[in-house]
Amino acid sequence: MSTIIVDKIAKSFGATQAVQDVSFEVHPGEIFALLGPNGSGKTTSIRVILDIYQPDSGSVTILGGPMTNEKLNQIGYIPEERGLYQDVPLDRCLTYLATLKGLTEEQIKERLPEFLAKFDLTDHAKKKAKELSKGMQQKGQLIAALIHDPEIIIIDEPFSALDPVNTQLVKDLLIEQRNAGKTIVMCTHQMNQVEQLCDRLVLIDHGQVLMQGELSEVRDRFRTNEVVIDSLDPLPEKLNGVSRIERLNDSYRLTPQAGHSAHQLLDELLAQGIKLNSFEVAVPTLDEIFIQVVKEGNGKHE
Amino acid sequence: MNKTTNVARYEYLHHVGSKRFWLYLVSVPLGFGLILVISLLLSRFSFDTRPVGIVDNGSLIQLEPDNSKESTFFNPQIYLYVYPDESTARSAASAGEIQGFALLPQDYPARYQLTYWTNKQPDSGIQSVITDFISANLMAAEHIDYAVLRRINEGSSISLQSLDGSQTSDGTSWHRIAVPVVIGVLNFIVVMSSGGYLLKALVEEKENRTIEIMLTSVPSREIMAGKIVGNLGVGLTQIVVWVLLLGIAGFLFRSKLGFLADIHLSGSYLVISLALMVLSFLFMAALMATIGAAMTSTEESQGVIGLMVLPMMIPFYFFNVFLSNPNGILARVLSFIPLSAPLALSLRMAISSVSPLEIGLVFVAIITFTLLMFWLAGVVFKRGMLQYSKRLSLKEIFKKETRNA
Repeated sequence: MSTIIVDKIAKSFGATQAVQDVSFEVHPGEIFALLGPNGSGKTTSIRVILDIYQPDSGSVTILGGPMTNEKLNQIGYIPEERGLYQDVPLDRCLTYLATLKGLTEEQIKERLPEFLAKFDLTDHAKKKAKELSKGMQQKGQLIAALIHDPEIIIIDEPFSALDPVNTQLVKDLLIEQRNAGKTIVMCTHQMNQVEQLCDRLVLIDHGQVLMQGELSEVRDRFRTNEVVIDSLDPLPEKLNGVSRIERLNDSYRLTPQAGHSAHQLLDELLAQGIKLNSFEVAVPTLDEIFIQVVKEGNGKHE
Repeated sequence: MNKTTNVARYEYLHHVGSKRFWLYLVSVPLGFGLILVISLLLSRFSFDTRPVGIVDNGSLIQLEPDNSKESTFFNPQIYLYVYPDESTARSAASAGEIQGFALLPQDYPARYQLTYWTNKQPDSGIQSVITDFISANLMAAEHIDYAVLRRINEGSSISLQSLDGSQTSDGTSWHRIAVPVVIGVLNFIVVMSSGGYLLKALVEEKENRTIEIMLTSVPSREIMAGKIVGNLGVGLTQIVVWVLLLGIAGFLFRSKLGFLADIHLSGSYLVISLALMVLSFLFMAALMATIGAAMTSTEESQGVIGLMVLPMMIPFYFFNVFLSNPNGILARVLSFIPLSAPLALSLRMAISSVSPLEIGLVFVAIITFTLLMFWLAGVVFKRGMLQYSKRLSLKEIFKKETRNA
């Protein structure tokens, strides 16, 4: 059974249709990427899932039914617009937010020091949020989202404001949570992180779903027969079975003619006596897929 | 319910633990006390307590001036000395022994005109000291007891009683209006300060984006309820502390506050006034929540608060109208408006008779207004709290929610 089922939700604000007919499912124990350009409807979708907004139509099923007060305690959320009480010491702020997630003071006393230590914030616990760096505030937000051991974690841009060390810390944490069986929904523009972390994804633009599926399946869908080679010799202008040769920095991208496989292309190169350092089938990056899909989507909207 | 308690507890402790709260708590009574002390001292030190002389050239004075009353700092007396002739009195005045002297000419019994010699404007008390003494001597000459004559001149004290016996007034007890005024002032201070805290908390949560995390932890109505209860607690704490301070001050100066014994307050009067204050606060809290959710910054919201002060102050502006016609249209209308009702109705109840039916209707109206305001606050809160950079328009507030699923 899916942890989250979003079924044909629509939501408008005045004349603006924020999302329309959006459907997707998030499975237990996976990291799910909710992707889309700015203003595509990601945040609205999340707010509908979290029952902050009522959808104009459609429905959301979360943990087997509609949202309830009890289920709010099973969700850890870090919104796009980060927020901590600026004039309150970090530990007091986190204690308060944890009580709102149903933790007792005893539980908080037990867990908070562990989280502060894990995120290297112990020495900063008594500082007010406004005295902390953006990265520290971000880590504070992560503690607020995780301290109550939620079943579902929804994070908008989890790596923003983090340095490489802390980015790795958060990545490890998300993997640890997934391994512990938690369901994670992640919104981000950092496609390399999605490629490294996510199991499945949905791409939304103009409030509509453009593409969804497992990461490997999506990649396969956009895979071409193109190959990238690193050659010691310069390539001739024309090669049999190759429709296009593109010079990259230190390599070439070869586009085979219709009906020609990568294997045949390799045979042709070897037959030509071209010395190769490397030969690989070009898999489109998620960035490229993202741009391609969004551009196609924009074409439809124009 | 537990989360509402958590929100209320946090709000209460957050504000009560702030420097701003303690500064306000101390500065208000201290400010009032300071103003009172300064005015008393200014008044006392500007009051000339030196004796006044009197020279009788009209052979009128038979009695000795009564200088037996002890002159104290808070109750100064101006003593009167009789001088045998003008030159002696003038010398005493020039030497500063007396502040001036009254000269009764020979023809005083015929013209009743005298001259007061002095180099400064006489204080208000001097005229009565001189005229009382002369009157007493005039009466003595006619063998009339001056104390009896003064009692006759004072006339009768008329006590007013409503036909149903529920309200009484002796017509001179100014302190009857003191209680509603104190209620009005306390209501104003508490509503404005607690309402201000509530507004600040909401706008800040919107400004620092904490509200979105709150909304995914606690239903919006519970956030609102918690905030209102917490801030009401802050307001009530202020009242309790100030009333305690007033009580301590009253105990310390009880010998000077004998008139307080004349204030008779019925239990129902106090219950009605307190209930009106609580309802007024709830209405204001909902109003502040509405403003806080609709506005985008603290500065913007502060401007709107100013407008809220007006209805609370109207009964003060029209105080004379209340006193002259407590059951007139203006006084009645203001009794039905949540922000002006605590002062308006308690003032009317103190100085006239207000029927139980009308009191009931006032409560029905104010509870209805308060519920409507809570409904509006709920709508605006849900629609406006996540609009970080855009003020919520009236059209957006009253747009029908379309939910088909």
